[in-house]
Amino acid sequence: MDLRGTDATVTLQSSAGQLASSKDEQVQNAEKHGLDWWSLAAIAPAIIILLGFLFLFFYGIFQSLTDLKFGRPLVRFIGFTNYEVAIKSQDFWNSVRATMAYACSAVLAEALSGLALAKLFASGVFLARLMRPVILLPLVLPPMSVALMWTTMMDPQNGILNYLLSLIGIGRLAWISDASTAMLSLVLIDIWTYTPFFALIIFAGLQGIDHEVREAARVNGAKGWATFLHIELPLIAPYILIAAVFRLIESLNQFDIIFGTTQGGPGDSTAVLSVRAYITAFQNLAFGRGAALMVVNWLIVLLGTLAMVKLWRLVRQRVS
Amino acid sequence: MPRTQAALRGHSAHLFKTALICSALLAGAAASFGQAKGDDINWRQFEGASIVWAYDIHPYADAVAAQLPDFEKLTGIKVTPELYPDDAYWNKLTIQLSTKSPSWDIVGMGIQPAWDLAPGQLLEPLDRYLNDPKLTSASYDYKDFFPALRDALTWEINGGQIEAGRGQVWAIPHGFENIQLFYRKDILDKHGIKVPTTPPEMSAACEKLKSADPAITPLGVRGVRFWSSIHTAAISIAKSYGVHDFVVKDGKLETGLDSPESLAFHKDYVQMIKKCAAPSFANDNWYQVVDGINSGRTAMAIDSNMFGFWNDVAGKPASGKIAFAPPLRAPNGKNFESNIWIWSLAMNAASQKKGAAWLFIQWATSKQVELNGAVAGKLVNSPRASTWSDKVWLDYAAKPEFTNFVDTFKSVQDRAALAFTPRVGFAEAMNAWAVAMQKMVNGADVKATLTGLASEIRSSM
Repeated sequence: MDLRGTDATVTLQSSAGQLASSKDEQVQNAEKHGLDWWSLAAIAPAIIILLGFLFLFFYGIFQSLTDLKFGRPLVRFIGFTNYEVAIKSQDFWNSVRATMAYACSAVLAEALSGLALAKLFASGVFLARLMRPVILLPLVLPPMSVALMWTTMMDPQNGILNYLLSLIGIGRLAWISDASTAMLSLVLIDIWTYTPFFALIIFAGLQGIDHEVREAARVNGAKGWATFLHIELPLIAPYILIAAVFRLIESLNQFDIIFGTTQGGPGDSTAVLSVRAYITAFQNLAFGRGAALMVVNWLIVLLGTLAMVKLWRLVRQRVS
Repeated sequence: MPRTQAALRGHSAHLFKTALICSALLAGAAASFGQAKGDDINWRQFEGASIVWAYDIHPYADAVAAQLPDFEKLTGIKVTPELYPDDAYWNKLTIQLSTKSPSWDIVGMGIQPAWDLAPGQLLEPLDRYLNDPKLTSASYDYKDFFPALRDALTWEINGGQIEAGRGQVWAIPHGFENIQLFYRKDILDKHGIKVPTTPPEMSAACEKLKSADPAITPLGVRGVRFWSSIHTAAISIAKSYGVHDFVVKDGKLETGLDSPESLAFHKDYVQMIKKCAAPSFANDNWYQVVDGINSGRTAMAIDSNMFGFWNDVAGKPASGKIAFAPPLRAPNGKNFESNIWIWSLAMNAASQKKGAAWLFIQWATSKQVELNGAVAGKLVNSPRASTWSDKVWLDYAAKPEFTNFVDTFKSVQDRAALAFTPRVGFAEAMNAWAVAMQKMVNGADVKATLTGLASEIRSSM
């Protein structure tokens, strides 16, 4: 009983306190839920910009549902016709394949070569230290300049690449001028340009690994390769994946390098979706169909990114 | 000593030539200024205005740009030229006009792009300026432009489609090109090769050249996947095979690219490209064609005739080495055919300085500016009949370094005509043709590719 009385007293006291504090809370809540005009004014520009972006995005989607074209006096709403026409054409699927092939092979090759470079940088070898800033140079070049530079170097007759190959007895390659080698050549340009991006991020990941972890592995008898495979690689996997997310988004949207070198050719061998959309809209002047292709490209980027982010979260959970 | 004398003689001759050209230009400029002063319109009515003239990086633009100070002095209007490389220019032009940006007042235009741009009301019709006596001088003489060129730039839009030959004037020509075969005489003479006249003859000549000198590209032609690679060699030769881009069937427009004539043409043409063109064909634009013929890495080229002329100008490495011939024709064809391209000046419909823009167009396409540009060796295919009867120009073009330029021009011009059907949607159909050409050159079956191309064009009509 005593215990209960004590309880009751305690309860009463605390109830009074609660009454007092609940009043304060109500006041605080009222203050909290009241319109803070200053805060609203502060974030208004961001909201306006966001709405502006969303408007443009949805306007683009709206355009893809119309027959907007130069020379057509009236623009009609045609529903999903542009999408239906695209899906039924072989060229569209060829572009989807080209987009996926370009992005996946470039990202995979860049991740592997970036990893190798980062490991080399982390080794602290004198030459690697010397090369560290130099290797980043391709990243700061405008992609269109990269495209023009490589177009010259890959010229089948007068390009320096074929000259260098001829020194070791390899015959002339057509590079970007032949349908069978054009895609591979473009992936090569992408690798040259963006491998430093991977190397930079993975190198940061490698630097972040506690030295004691490696030391413990060494004490337990792990050799260099085993340490890398079982200790370092799992720890830097989230870094590799986050770099892959950014690069996948860019590669699926790649335009400058491809348009600047092959314009999607020869034939349709490198006509990725972004290039096809541009040509449809700005060279064939069919803006509605061009917008539909861009929306499809956006969907592919979105799905690819969501899948990669999910994978990144899984790996990060496992590591932590 | 004799060497010094020879050098002095050369120097004096060079000085004399320079003085002659300069005095002709000065006389021309003075004449145009004088003529303008005595003109019936007020050239200073838009004094103080500032306009932007956009164009391709091109010697035709250089010819006008060199005379801009005269225009600014005459009118008090400031002109800012914005010049871009070929591909970039056409893409930027579409964006500028389609967004109705007023930043460009006058644009360099070709007839084919104008078919796609005019119906969207992106170009200003020029009739009311031409017919306004306050804006157009009586001495402008619009009828002095070759009739074929005037007709090509005049059409009306009916139901969203082009009806050529009558209607409104959409641009004023200030230079044109006909398609010819031009070749390095020195190379063909060295290897004893006769100038080919048909694609099979060209294929045979290429094989002979390649076996004699593997480093030489026998034939330079454009191959980029853009309509510009169709409008030179391909369409000119195709026309001689009886190929039409569009035909009227049962009162309806229908593509003619899957016809038996088209099949025969493409088989020969693809074969010829495989044997003759550079391995970089798919990436070759006119820059590569000109560079090849100028440097001697390419023996022959089928493209716009002035590319040969510009490289024949005294002082150029290839001066006097490039000769001209009509384009190739079908083996059983009676005549060759040559497509034309008309460089013209058009007005942006969104321009806010249309009066000043018109004065610029009128001045830049005037008799005197055309003649000055021609005699400077840049505006070589003047669209004005008066230039072609002017002794100063004819004497200049008949110089030995230009080999047979004038004679070939005259014989080709008799058969030169627009080879495309005027229609909205030109770019889409012709871009598709360029892509199909690349596929066939890369080994795709000719018949199947043409069937696919025709069906693609039909679905877009």
